[in-house]
Amino acid sequence: MKLLQCPVNGIRPLSEFSYGGEFRTMPDPDSCTDQQWAAYVHYRSGAPGYKKEWWYHMPSGTWFIAERNTITDKVSRTYLFPKREVAV
Amino acid sequence: MKSTLLKSPIAFAQASQNPQMAEVNGMLTAVRFADEAIESQRVEVLAICDVSAFERVSIKGKQAASYLQQQGIALPADANQWLFEADRLVMRLGNSEFLIEDQTTNVKPSVSELSSAEGVHKVSRNDAAFILTGNHIQPLFAEICEIDLVAELATENHLVMTVIAGVSATLLSQTLNGERIYRLWCDGTYGPYLWKTLLSIIEQAGGGAWDCITFIQRFNRLQISTLRKGL
Amino acid sequence: MSSRLTTQSTEWIQRDKPFSFSYEGQQVTAFEGDTISSALWANGIKVLGRSFKYHRARGILTLANHDVNALMTDGIDTNIRADVWPVQADMQLTAVNTTGGVIKDRSQFIDKISPLLPVGFYYKAFHTPRRFFPFWEDKIRKAAGLGEVNFNYPRIPKPKQHAHCDVLIIGAGIAGLSAAISVAEQGLSVIIVDENAKAGGSLTYDMATDSVSQLTTLLSAVESYSKIRLITNAYAAGYYADHLVPIVETTGITKVRAKALIVASGAFEQPPVFRNNDLPGVMMGSAAQRLIYRYAVKPFDKGVVVTANDYGYRTALDLLAAGVDVLAVIDMRREGSSSPLVTELKSKQVAVHKASCVYEVIASKQKLGVSEVVICPYDELMAEADTKNKIRLKCDGVAMSAGWAPAAALLYQAGTKMRFDNTVQQFVPAELPEGVFAAGKVNGIFELDQRQLDGQRAAAEALNYLGKSVATVEVKQHQGISPSHAYPVVNHPKGKNFVDFDEDIQVKDFINAAKEGFDNIELMKRFTTVGMGPSQGKHSNMNAIRILARIRDLPVEKIGTTTARPFFHPTPIGHLGGRGFHPHRYTAIHEWHIENGGIMTAAGLWMRPSYYLPAGSQLTAQQAMQQEAMAVRTKAGMIDNSTLGKIEVYGPDAAAFLERVYTGKFAKQKVGQYRIAMLLDEAGVMVDDGLACRLAEDRFYLTTSTTNSAMVYRQLQREVQISGLSVSLANLTGVKAAMTIAGPASADILSQLTTVDLSANAFPTGSVVETKVADVECLLLRVAFVAEQAFEIHLPAAAGLYVWNQLMQAGALFGLMAYGTDAQRLLRLEMGHHLIGHDTDGLTNPFEAHAEPLIAMDKAFFTGQRSLKIIAKKPLNKTLVNFVLDSDFAGDLPNECNLVIDNGDIAGRITSIAYSPYLKRVIGIAFVPPEKRQTGSRFEIRNDAGDLIAATVIQSPTELAKSA
Repeated sequence: MKLLQCPVNGIRPLSEFSYGGEFRTMPDPDSCTDQQWAAYVHYRSGAPGYKKEWWYHMPSGTWFIAERNTITDKVSRTYLFPKREVAV
Repeated sequence: MKSTLLKSPIAFAQASQNPQMAEVNGMLTAVRFADEAIESQRVEVLAICDVSAFERVSIKGKQAASYLQQQGIALPADANQWLFEADRLVMRLGNSEFLIEDQTTNVKPSVSELSSAEGVHKVSRNDAAFILTGNHIQPLFAEICEIDLVAELATENHLVMTVIAGVSATLLSQTLNGERIYRLWCDGTYGPYLWKTLLSIIEQAGGGAWDCITFIQRFNRLQISTLRKGL
Repeated sequence: MSSRLTTQSTEWIQRDKPFSFSYEGQQVTAFEGDTISSALWANGIKVLGRSFKYHRARGILTLANHDVNALMTDGIDTNIRADVWPVQADMQLTAVNTTGGVIKDRSQFIDKISPLLPVGFYYKAFHTPRRFFPFWEDKIRKAAGLGEVNFNYPRIPKPKQHAHCDVLIIGAGIAGLSAAISVAEQGLSVIIVDENAKAGGSLTYDMATDSVSQLTTLLSAVESYSKIRLITNAYAAGYYADHLVPIVETTGITKVRAKALIVASGAFEQPPVFRNNDLPGVMMGSAAQRLIYRYAVKPFDKGVVVTANDYGYRTALDLLAAGVDVLAVIDMRREGSSSPLVTELKSKQVAVHKASCVYEVIASKQKLGVSEVVICPYDELMAEADTKNKIRLKCDGVAMSAGWAPAAALLYQAGTKMRFDNTVQQFVPAELPEGVFAAGKVNGIFELDQRQLDGQRAAAEALNYLGKSVATVEVKQHQGISPSHAYPVVNHPKGKNFVDFDEDIQVKDFINAAKEGFDNIELMKRFTTVGMGPSQGKHSNMNAIRILARIRDLPVEKIGTTTARPFFHPTPIGHLGGRGFHPHRYTAIHEWHIENGGIMTAAGLWMRPSYYLPAGSQLTAQQAMQQEAMAVRTKAGMIDNSTLGKIEVYGPDAAAFLERVYTGKFAKQKVGQYRIAMLLDEAGVMVDDGLACRLAEDRFYLTTSTTNSAMVYRQLQREVQISGLSVSLANLTGVKAAMTIAGPASADILSQLTTVDLSANAFPTGSVVETKVADVECLLLRVAFVAEQAFEIHLPAAAGLYVWNQLMQAGALFGLMAYGTDAQRLLRLEMGHHLIGHDTDGLTNPFEAHAEPLIAMDKAFFTGQRSLKIIAKKPLNKTLVNFVLDSDFAGDLPNECNLVIDNGDIAGRITSIAYSPYLKRVIGIAFVPPEKRQTGSRFEIRNDAGDLIAATVIQSPTELAKSA
């Protein structure tokens, strides 16, 4: 199974992690339209390529972000939020 | 027998072994599973012991490090490191989170004497805590953990948070009086399951349960008997 | 009659350890180290099985686990692969797939009617007339399948292990062993695995060069390195992400995680295709060699070698050395061979026929063996024999060679791009993924010395990949004669020239499949079933591709290959299960539940009592539950609520954080009060609810439902980071035990153990205080979820059992009973409370659950707020209501999820329903259209039988009780 690097605890098997969905920035709820808000809540991009994802290392309770190429399934880097990069 | 206030989270899982029970640090704990000769033999092969009775606390917060240092407690420099000094184990779980474990009642300041303050938060704990030792540690770890634990823990003063037999756990390895032992902590509510699971693998390898008093005496030379203060 | 040879220096058998076993009722002698097949063959027993479809007699074909001609059962294990399974004393074996024994098999008539059973026949027959299908289905089920499962097998757990190394090497032949030594020389750790009983690969049977001493040298070098772990009798089952390879042994699976992988797995010898090439006595050249050199067994007495490459010449010499009367070598190639072995063979009176083929093998009596071969001139380009010129030779065996197919399954699974190499007529790696390397025959290298270099080359590449800078190694690409033939197929009008021996697929099956339009390799595979048998195409896929290429008149590389999937060999499910880790969480009070008859069920990871049946109780589950609920209504009951999620939220922005995440207001909440904390997701859907207790200006104690505790904590942790607020969290779920004591006597009971004034005036619902109960520090709340008078206590888990016992003691005189989760569900229903996740689903918004009072839309922001603004603009289309069935209702209760019907249309559904002994009525919660939400509205429920049951909307059951 795949390995993933927690920025704090190092490289671990995927079974130690929980996926937290795509990393997205919320539009400003006060100024966006209903359509824009609904798209944010319900639509996801299915296009292949680099995605930023939330991942959670369960034993240590660490949330972090991974940048993953969804075609090759390779993670290029992982870092804590806000963006402090740890090269993989 | 007067009912003891505190009970080890693992006590009922151990009951099927009919151990002798005693108060360790005010907590009812299984001590003595078999006669000394058998237990000594288990220790050579593979043995597990319940030291949930040691007093523990988490100290978290931006000022946690300086607060602890002010109390005269030496701290590891980085996250995922630990120090053992004067019968007190200090584990740095994160940049500003520390797990302190007193292994005797002579530790000053004791865990119960630490308190919250500005930028310092005291969080109580209910850990199941084990000691594992013996020649067959490697095959045991090979079964219960996906990462190379022995290699990871060989680094001096390194601690690891990983998954053991499906349960999140924290581990470290210590050399005490020349012998290599492994410490393991998990949430107390997973303790009974983990004790039972580890014990069945350990018994299949020819080892078994081992009483914590012997550990304390063998490695620490000191007694623990008085009721712990406060909760 | 024994075919055992005198001692071979290379043999694997131990002649000082003889024993006997039985096969098909016959006693057979064997030596330690024999496989079942080698022992049988040594005893002259050549019928080892019956083929899958046609029930043809079969013997040894590859002797390498690349075919399943010999599948046996010992009554417990089924489908034992006799060719490679070590025989043991007193085994009692029979062949699978026979009716009446392997010799007398009554199903052998199927072979005679085979013209009625062409490829894919079952797609066309049997479905009409439809009324006969059940008859045919029964017959086909009995005929299909191989061994029989014995359901009383002993349950022997096979725990899984993990292992780690720098380099994992698959295959301990010359390439693999050389690679291992190169890696270990640099100080890295190596695990090298081989599926055979001993390492060495083809060095253990291909004596073309000084194999024996080379192997000895390699093995002693390997042994000298402590960093090399050699595991034999183990196969690599598949390739998984980031170089995880499970290694399968009889004792169980070891999951090896390597930093780099070298695949030196060799190649499968491929059969030439000619009529009756499947009779017992016809075998691969390498099978004959394995018999001779590993097991000291003579393959046959008198026979021929048919070859489409140079390998057959080597085999012929081995046969001669073993005392076989080799009549001829038949070379299918027009030019024959220029190997020096030709001369050597001729000098030993072996006839060598080039541009010839075995046109067909003539079967002996009852088709149990070989009696003759028919040799014809052969045009290798047309794949046609000249049948006007036949030579017949009486013999009892044929050794055949046509070439090799790489054992590349793991390379494919790792994502290797392969290309077809015409110089070696096989697929070879073209683009390897990072960290994966190939060496030896699987890499298209066949010369012995080059294979050794190739192992060293792959090791050097792996070492460089791992950061150890070493010199690269040059390896010569294959030159000269191709080790594999492009098309070793002899057409025959009567067929039975087998390509896939597992599935009984012959050449015309491919032609017919193509005619039907299944002329793409994936379709061809599924229509003919080639490669779908237990060997998964090891001896058949390459020939199938060649044949399809010829049918389509395309080059082989345009045909492609089918997908190689794990497992390399079928792996027992018990191995895959391993020991199985199934964590559970137990509360501090668990032992009390057990001692008092708690019937425990899993609530997620937690074990909770559903109800109690103390020793000697004669009650049913339903009665026990109702008794517990009645105790709460009339006296007092207590439930262990330790499973609730508990989260401490602290810091200067604690209240602001709660306001941001939950729907309600917390900024002005007083210390000593709690409020309901309802959690929505971004879509405005209800996710969880709990209580937020304010213990200090900057400290809250939050509870969540049992099921959602881990998820809510995780989500809050993330929100802390995203919000940037000055707040921290502590997860106290496992740290605290909790219990709820409820009922008219609960205050009286609790008062004995605490100094808090529990009267409704001093301590109303919504109050929380840090105090002591039974002298243990705890948090005390007055709650109203299951009863009008109830208290919840949160305290350190280690003291949980003690305090529970103190309360039980104090409550004994009042009739305090423990109640379980079943009673809790009824009690909250009687109070009219919905449960999130039970009465609400993945789409329910708070407006549908009349939760408006909990939503503070005027806050600046909370999770889900923006969506609620959108939802609020639309009309409500359903709403939750409490209902009661008519007082004269009798019969079976409708079920949860039974529909609400209005004028024949679906108008909602039941989400909770139960009979309340306290109210003596059936009550429940349902979704109904908004126009039905008024108290007194009537609606109908359609039960499972289709009857319509009348129901009335009520404000809440407690109102009902009061009005009654």
